[in-house]
Amino acid sequence: MPGRFDGRVETEPADSGTPASRRRYDPPLPAPPAFLRRGPLREGVFTSPLHEPRTVVVLGRWLGAALLVCFLTGLTSHLLQDPPGWLAPHLPARPVNGYRVTQGLHVISGLAAIPLAGAKLWAVYPRLIEWPPARSVLHALERLGIALLVAAVLLELFTGLLNTLQWYPWPFPFRQTHFWLGWLATGGLLVHLAVKAPLIAAHWWRRAVPALAQRRAFLAATTAAVGTVTLVTAGQSVPWLSGLDLLAPRRPDLGPQGLPVNRTAAQAGTVTVPADWRLLVDGPRPYRLTLLELGELPQHDVELPISCVEGWSASARWTGVRLSELVRRAGAPPGSAVRVTSLEAEGPYRVMAMPAPYVDDPLSLLALRVNGEVLAADHGFPARVIAPNRPGVLQTKWVTRIEVIV
Amino acid sequence: MTATVRGLLLAAGLAVIGYGLYGLLGDPYITDPVEILVWALGGLVIHDGLWVPLVCLLGAFLVRGPVLRGWLVVAAAVTAVGLPAVLRADDDHGNPSVLPLPYLRNWLLVLAATAGVALLLALAGRWRRRDRAARHRPRPVGRRPRPVRRRAPREDPS
Repeated sequence: MPGRFDGRVETEPADSGTPASRRRYDPPLPAPPAFLRRGPLREGVFTSPLHEPRTVVVLGRWLGAALLVCFLTGLTSHLLQDPPGWLAPHLPARPVNGYRVTQGLHVISGLAAIPLAGAKLWAVYPRLIEWPPARSVLHALERLGIALLVAAVLLELFTGLLNTLQWYPWPFPFRQTHFWLGWLATGGLLVHLAVKAPLIAAHWWRRAVPALAQRRAFLAATTAAVGTVTLVTAGQSVPWLSGLDLLAPRRPDLGPQGLPVNRTAAQAGTVTVPADWRLLVDGPRPYRLTLLELGELPQHDVELPISCVEGWSASARWTGVRLSELVRRAGAPPGSAVRVTSLEAEGPYRVMAMPAPYVDDPLSLLALRVNGEVLAADHGFPARVIAPNRPGVLQTKWVTRIEVIV
Repeated sequence: MTATVRGLLLAAGLAVIGYGLYGLLGDPYITDPVEILVWALGGLVIHDGLWVPLVCLLGAFLVRGPVLRGWLVVAAAVTAVGLPAVLRADDDHGNPSVLPLPYLRNWLLVLAATAGVALLLALAGRWRRRDRAARHRPRPVGRRPRPVRRRAPREDPS
């Protein structure tokens, strides 16, 4: 079959056709002795007709799209959660469901990439053990790049999947590793696209290649796999799919007060709140309020989602005092950023910085109630922050202090 | 023109890889990048050295027919995504809203449901082939029947 991968080369013309100038920059490497070519390295070992470029191009388009969505939404999440100083004052508090959508998509496309990567890597598998292993220096470099790409993608998908379960069997920190590996994977993908561009272009359109019944069946099976995986997990972030949420690590309606929790009060050591708890609002005119006094301030109802970096999200009706009104009362002008401190003794999100656009947004509350009930300890009793378009870890619970910083 | 685009793509890719490496090696929280390298290579070895060869062997010697193949693809995907939850179902670190579902039951349920769909597809395919064969038998001359696509891989294992 023309275009089959094993033992043939279709990205580059035959050696005799390579211009001499090209060869000078790409010195050929000697082929290893032929007697080493044994077992799976022999020609014709892979009999499936699907190890061919058109199948790979179709799968590659889907996988590439999924990975790019993962990268862009991941970058968005990173910037919202940990913005560089110059960006923080410009982060938008709208759209209200922005982070819910981008992070939901991040996990949905990441999970979809698992069967896609499996199918894609199976289809190109004969190329892994092609003969000779490297024809030239550039070819060796390209293969090194593919090793980087595949290793980064596999580890990204693995760590991302397990992170949604809060399972960390590896010795390195998840967030930083997942972030930097994302750059390596994306860079590897761009290099791969540049190298394979002619091959991709030649097999982009269906009419340019012969039809293959097995290809249709295989692509249909892969589509079914992606569809099934999506259907049984996406319900953790897509409300109308929650009935089919069978394998996702969360369900939006399961948890204290019908709402999932990322970190419980027991985990944070905040099950009991000190009897003398007061909210300190620190600014030009600092003041303290008891819970009773907070409850006597004008209360506002907002419908906002908790959207976790792990992909799940759940909407709830929150009742409390507007952050902007609390800050104004301390004598801070509009456009002020704040720092919010939690009662928890330790934890990477004990202190949270909130840029001005969130503070000034009328939907941002210091919430005292959820869905009509006083906050449970797990949801941040006595008071928690809830703001639109923000990662859940920044919706600080068990708030004890709000401090104007600009 | 295309050469320029290709060159730019290549340069951008290399720059992004460079930025990723720079960040990975310079991140204050990542104290031992070698650990990441070990896990990355481990993933390559397990995937390319064990998993894919196993799939190829199964496909070449055991599995026949597009419907069974298709279901196995679906089952493998569901298992890859669902198995960690099945394995960790009892370990929520004291947070009952993590992994709140009966994952073993749900996993088997999804496998069974997709198997049911596959079975229906297989039956429908067989029924349609028989129907078509019956319709075309008395009339061998005339319009040629369209080739039945789903029957192909039976003699062509991968």
